[in-house]
Amino acid sequence: MSIRRLQLLDRTRRYFFSQCFVGLGNIALGSLLSDGKLLAGTAPQVENPLAPKPPHFRPRAKRVIYLFMAGGPSQFETWLYRPKLGELSGQPTPDSFLEGKRFAFMESFTKARPKLLGPTRKFQRHGQSGTWVSEVFPHMATVVDDLALVHSVVTENFNHAPAKLFVNTGSTRFGRPSMGAWVSYGLGSESQDLPTFVVLRSGEQTLMGGAYLWGSGFLPTTYQGVEFLRSAVPIPNLASPKGISIKRQAARLNAIRDLNLAHLAASGDPEISTRIASYEMAHRMQTSGPELMDLGSESQETLDLYGATPGESSFANNCLLARRMIERGVRFVQLYHTGWDHHGNRGNNLNEKLDEVALATDRPCAALIKDLKQRGLLDDTLVIWGGEFGRTPMGEVRETIGRNHHIENFPMWFAGAGVKPGQTIGGVDELGFFVTKDKVEVHDVQATILHLLGLDHTKLTFRYQGRNFRLTDVGGHLIKKLLADSTLV
Amino acid sequence: MVVILIACSTLSLFAEREPFSPEAIRFFENEIRPLLRNKCADCHNNQLLTSGLSVESRETILRGGNRGEAVSLGLPEESRLVHAIRRQGELKMPPGEPLSPPEVSALVRWIEMRLPWPARLPAGNIPDRSSMHWSFQPIERPAEPKVSDPLWVRNPIDSFILARLDRQGLQPTPEAEKATLIRRVYIDLISLLPKPEEVEAFVGDIRPDAYERVVDHLLESPHYGERWGRHWLDLARYADSNGYNADGERKIWMYRDWVIRALNRDLPFNQFVIEQIAGDLLPNATEDQIVATGFHRNTMLNLEGGIDFEQYRVEAVVDRVNTTGVVFLGLTLGCARCHDHKYDPVSQREFYEFFAFFNSIDELSGEFNNDEGRARASEPVLEFGTPEQYARREALRAQLEVMQEELKTYEEGLLAKQAQWEACLSDDDLVKLSPSQRAILEIPTEDRHEEQRKSLRRGYFNQDVGHQERRKAVAAVQKLEPEIPSTLVMREFPEPRPTHVLLGGEFLNKGVRVWPGTPAVLPELPAKERYTRLDLARWLVDEKNPLTPRVTVSRVWQRYFGRGIVETENDFGTQGLPPSHPELLDWLASEFVSRDWSLKAIHRLIVTSATYRQSSKYRPDTAKKDPRNRLLARQNRLRVESEIVRDLALSASNMLVPEIGGPSVFPPQPAGIMIRETSFARAGESRWPKSEGKDRYRRGMYTHFWRTSPHPALMVFDSPNSLTSATSRNRSNTPLQALTLLNDAGFHEFAQGLAQRILRERPNGTNSERVEHLFRVCLTRTAQQVEKERLERLLETQLDDFRTNPSEAEEILSLPTPVGVDRPEAAAWTMVASVVLNLDEFITRE
Repeated sequence: MSIRRLQLLDRTRRYFFSQCFVGLGNIALGSLLSDGKLLAGTAPQVENPLAPKPPHFRPRAKRVIYLFMAGGPSQFETWLYRPKLGELSGQPTPDSFLEGKRFAFMESFTKARPKLLGPTRKFQRHGQSGTWVSEVFPHMATVVDDLALVHSVVTENFNHAPAKLFVNTGSTRFGRPSMGAWVSYGLGSESQDLPTFVVLRSGEQTLMGGAYLWGSGFLPTTYQGVEFLRSAVPIPNLASPKGISIKRQAARLNAIRDLNLAHLAASGDPEISTRIASYEMAHRMQTSGPELMDLGSESQETLDLYGATPGESSFANNCLLARRMIERGVRFVQLYHTGWDHHGNRGNNLNEKLDEVALATDRPCAALIKDLKQRGLLDDTLVIWGGEFGRTPMGEVRETIGRNHHIENFPMWFAGAGVKPGQTIGGVDELGFFVTKDKVEVHDVQATILHLLGLDHTKLTFRYQGRNFRLTDVGGHLIKKLLADSTLV
Repeated sequence: MVVILIACSTLSLFAEREPFSPEAIRFFENEIRPLLRNKCADCHNNQLLTSGLSVESRETILRGGNRGEAVSLGLPEESRLVHAIRRQGELKMPPGEPLSPPEVSALVRWIEMRLPWPARLPAGNIPDRSSMHWSFQPIERPAEPKVSDPLWVRNPIDSFILARLDRQGLQPTPEAEKATLIRRVYIDLISLLPKPEEVEAFVGDIRPDAYERVVDHLLESPHYGERWGRHWLDLARYADSNGYNADGERKIWMYRDWVIRALNRDLPFNQFVIEQIAGDLLPNATEDQIVATGFHRNTMLNLEGGIDFEQYRVEAVVDRVNTTGVVFLGLTLGCARCHDHKYDPVSQREFYEFFAFFNSIDELSGEFNNDEGRARASEPVLEFGTPEQYARREALRAQLEVMQEELKTYEEGLLAKQAQWEACLSDDDLVKLSPSQRAILEIPTEDRHEEQRKSLRRGYFNQDVGHQERRKAVAAVQKLEPEIPSTLVMREFPEPRPTHVLLGGEFLNKGVRVWPGTPAVLPELPAKERYTRLDLARWLVDEKNPLTPRVTVSRVWQRYFGRGIVETENDFGTQGLPPSHPELLDWLASEFVSRDWSLKAIHRLIVTSATYRQSSKYRPDTAKKDPRNRLLARQNRLRVESEIVRDLALSASNMLVPEIGGPSVFPPQPAGIMIRETSFARAGESRWPKSEGKDRYRRGMYTHFWRTSPHPALMVFDSPNSLTSATSRNRSNTPLQALTLLNDAGFHEFAQGLAQRILRERPNGTNSERVEHLFRVCLTRTAQQVEKERLERLLETQLDDFRTNPSEAEEILSLPTPVGVDRPEAAAWTMVASVVLNLDEFITRE
C-alpha cells in the first residue's frame, strides 16, 4: 500500500459529512447522554473523502455526461463520408493497407483477401457548418452546429473489453480506476444525497468489461461509479424489506443512530461518526433515489423530445435521467448503450440492426443537447459521444457483409462546456483507413476532458505499488482545436 | 552444467583479446570513448543497464542487450547499433538529436576495426547491483530492549513495543475488559461470535492462564483455517470464475480447501510455500501437493472470441511473477516488465529470468488459437473420479463418437439433396428460415460465401426431422457424462518453453533469450545446470532469503493491528516505508524461522502479548503525539471484513451452517446483479442458481465469486476484486454498506433468526432481560441502562404498531416461526434485532 493511499484511507476512515451534526441537532439526547460530553471535544477533527475539492485551475465544465456507444459504431455509416470508398466498393483491398496489421477475428481476413465496402447509407451536409451526417441520424443532423466532431481518434487494442477499458480507464488491463472515479477523487462530490458518479445502461447486448468500466481500481471504493439498475430498485437494497414502511424504517434508523452515538461517547472513535453519517446519507438516498428515477413529473413535451416513456428502460429514459441527475448535483454520468458491433452476423448486421440502434439513440442524444441548451445547462455541462473503436473500410463476410473492428480511426463528438462548436477536427485518407491529420490518442481525449473540468491530467495522480499512476499513463496532450478558449491552455 | 558451460564460453569470448595497434587505440581514445561517454553512457552504463546494454567496456558491448547482439564484430552493416544510430529501423538512438554524420562514420569504422579498446583487467561478469536497502540485509536477531515497566511485558513483543513508547514518553493502555477481549480474539482467530456461556465461563475463570486456554482452544478450531485461509486467498487472488468477458465458471475450490486444511494442521510455512509454488515437481508428489499448486492457477483466463490466446497466457505468467514478488518478497517486480525498475534494483532482464520459472506450464497458449484450445481451456486439471466414473465417461465418449460419425454421414446424405430442397421450398418452409437465410437463397449457390453457406445449411438441417432426432440423441448422451470433481493445477512441459525478454512488455516483441534466474540483489540460487520452479520455491524460503519471513510476519501483524510493521505491505523496496519497529520485525522474523515456520506459534505470541490485549478505547492524550497510533499505545478498532460481516450475523442468529469446504454456494443477492453481465452462452440470472436449504447459510468465504459480478454484499464491504493479488483491504464506510445491512434480503433473514433465537432462549424473559440477552449474544457485553431503555422503547412502539397492523407483521416475517410464537412479537423483535446487527460496534472488532 502506498503512502498516499494510506493517508487517503485514514481520511476514508474518518469519512464524515459535516452536516451530520446539524442533523443531530434535533435529537433528544438528554436522557441518552446526560453528561453531555459527547460533542465536547472527544470526537476529533474528521474529513470526508468526498468533500468538494478545488480544481487545479478554473474549470469550464462543472459536470460530464458521457454517452458511450458500446461495440464500435461504424464511422462509414454515421459521421465519416468517404465517397471514394463507395466508388471502389467491391474491389480487393490494396495490400499496402493490410501489411503488418492485425485484426480481431483474423481468420475471417486471412482466408480470402477482404474487399472494400462502400458506405451503405446516404450522407448529406447539415447546419451552417455543413457537416456531413448519414441518414441514420436525422435528429443529430439538426444539432451539428452545437458539436465539435472529431474523426481522427485512434486506439490501441482491437478486442472489445481491452478497448473499452482503455477508453474508460486509460489502460487495456483490468483493475485501473475509471475516468469518473478519477474525477470524483479529484473534485469530490456536490451532492448530499446522491452518488457523484452514476452509471446507466441500456441495449440488449453484453457490455463487455462490465463493472470494471466504472470501477475505482486502486482508488478507494468511495470513488467508484454507482450503477442505477433498470429496475424498480435502481440501487441494490435501496428499498426497505417488505412490510417496513417509511415510518418504520425511520424508527429503526433513529434507534441505530442513538445507540451508535452512545457508543461514540464511550469509545471516542471518529469512525463511528462516519458510520452515523453514512446511515443518514443512506436514508436520504432512499427518498431521493426513487424521486430521481420517477419521470412522471416531466412534461409531456420533454418526454416527447427524448422519446422517453416513464417506467420503461431505454436509452431515451437514461438520457433524460442523466439530465435530472446533473440537476441534482451528480458530477459524472456515464451512459452505456450496447449494440454497435456490426460484423454482419444475424444479430449484428449493418442493415436493420444498425438502423435499430441508430433509431434508439439518435433522438435522445439530440434531445439531450437541446434540453440542456434551453435550460442553460449546456454552458457548464460537457457532453461526449463515442465508442471503443471504429470499423474497417473492408467488408467482413459473415451471414451478411458487415465490418470488422478498426483501431486506426474512429469518431467522437463533444458538445457544451468549453468546447468550440460547429467544427470538424481530423483528417482521414479517402478510403477511410488511416488518420492523415490531427491524430487524437485516447489519452488525449482523457487529458482534454480533465482539462475542461479544471484538472491537470499530469497532476491528478495516485501512488500505488511504488509509482504514481494517472488516468493518462505516460501520454495525453490537449486537443487544442477542440477548446473554445485556447488561451486557457 | 549447461549454464556453467555457457558462462565459460561467453567468458572465453569476452576474454578474447585482439592485438590492437597503438593507432587503433588512439583512434578509440580520441574519437570513440568521448562519443560513448557523452552520447550513450548516461543510460547504457553498468548501473542503469537500460535495455540490458552497457557501453562501459568492450565486453559489455559484445554481450549485447535485451534485444540481442548490439555489434557484429567487423560487420557494421549487420550491427544493430549502426541501424540504431542511422535511425534505419524501429530503434532510433540516441533519443533526441541524432548523431552527426562524422560521428556515425567513426562508429562504423570502429566496428570494422573490431572494436579496439585498451587492454585492462576483464570487468566482472555480473554488474554490481547490490543495495544497502534495509530489507535486503540479513535478519539479525536483536536482543530484547530494557523497558520502563517490566511488569507490563508478557512476552518479548511487548518489550519492543514498550521501549519505543518509552522513547516517546507514552504509556500503554490497560488490558481490555475480559468480555471485549474474548470477542476480539474469537473474531481474529475464527471470526465467529463466542456463545454467551463461553463468555460467561471466561469472565468467571480466575486462573492466570484463562485467556491462554481460550487462545489454544481457538487455534485448534477448524474455523481457524477458514479465517486465516481467507486472508491467504486474498493474496492468492482466488475466484470461482475465469475473469475477462466470458468469465466462465472454473473449479478450483479444492485449492481453497487445501489452504484451510494446511493452516489447520499448521503445515510449516516453508513447506506451505514450496507446495503451492511447485508441489507438482516434488519427488513422489502426493495428490494433495499437486492440488496446492492451484495457487498460481488462480490467474485469469480470457476466452473471448477473436483473441490470441498467447497474449493472455503471457499476461497470466506476468501475473505469476508479480504475485510471487509481492506475496513472498514484498517487491513490485511488475514495474520491471516494460523497462528496468525505476527505484528498486531489478532489471527488465531479471524480470524475464523470473518469468522463465512460470513460462513452461502446459496451459492454453497461442499454439491453440482454435476450438480445440477452447475445449481444453482449463487444462491442466487434477481429477478425483471413481474408477466407475472414468469407465462410464470413456464408454459414453466412445458412444458419442460413433453417433457423431453417423450424424456426419447422415448430413452428407442430406447435403446431396439440398439443391432439390431449395428448388421446391413451400411457403411454410420459408417461414421457418430467418430473414437473412431467405436472403441467401436469392444468391446463386456458387456465389455464396462460406458463412452464408453455413447459415443456410443450418436452416436446412433444422427442418429435417431425422437430423433433429439425431442431434437430440447426441445432446442426450452428452448430458449423461458424469461430473467428475476436479481442480486446476500446474503441470510442467518436459522441455521448457524458451523465454525471451519482451521488449516494452509486448508479447510479440521478443528480445534476447533468457533462462530462469532470480534478481542479483537477492541471495544466489545454489549452482545448478537448469533451474525449475522447485528451485525457485525452495529459494523463496531459504534461510538466506531475508524477505519472505519479514514480509510474512509483518502481514500477520497487519491483520491484528490494522497495519503491518511495514505499513506499505506490498512494497518492502526502496519506495516503501521503513518498518515502524525494525527490531521487533526482525525478532519476529527470526522467531518464525526458528520455530520451524509455525504460523500458529506466531499467532499465539501476538495474541497473548500485552500489546494485543490493550483496550482500543480512543485516547486523546496519545492522539497528539501519535495521531495514527503507529506506536500502539492502545489497540485499534477495526471494522471486520466483508465475509466476516456476514459470518457474525449468521453466528448471532444461530443460522450458521458450519460445514467446512466444498463447492462454492449461491446465497441470495439482489435482483438485477447478474443481468447479461458477462457470458454469451450462460448470461443472466441462471448464473446465480440461488442456493436453498443449508447452502443459504454458509460462511461468507464460500460465496461463489464471479470476477466480473461478485456478490454485492461482499464488494460493498471492500472484498478484493481477485483480479490480482490483494495484500490489504480497504476499510471504507459508505451509505451502500448501510443500505446492505438495513435492507438486504440475507441480513433481513438473519435479523429474524436472531429475534427468534432471543425469544427461544429467553421464553419467559421480560423485555429488559431479552434485550440484555441480545447484547450478550451480539456484543458479548451487558447493555448500558440508556441502551436498554432505548431498545425497549423501540420494541414497545413496534409491538403496538404490529398488533394494530398484523398484516405488516406477516409481510416482515419472510421466515416461518415456530409454533406458539406470537407473530407480531416476532416482527417487533426482528426490528430490535436488526438495530443491533446494524450497529457500528457489531461489525467492529473492538
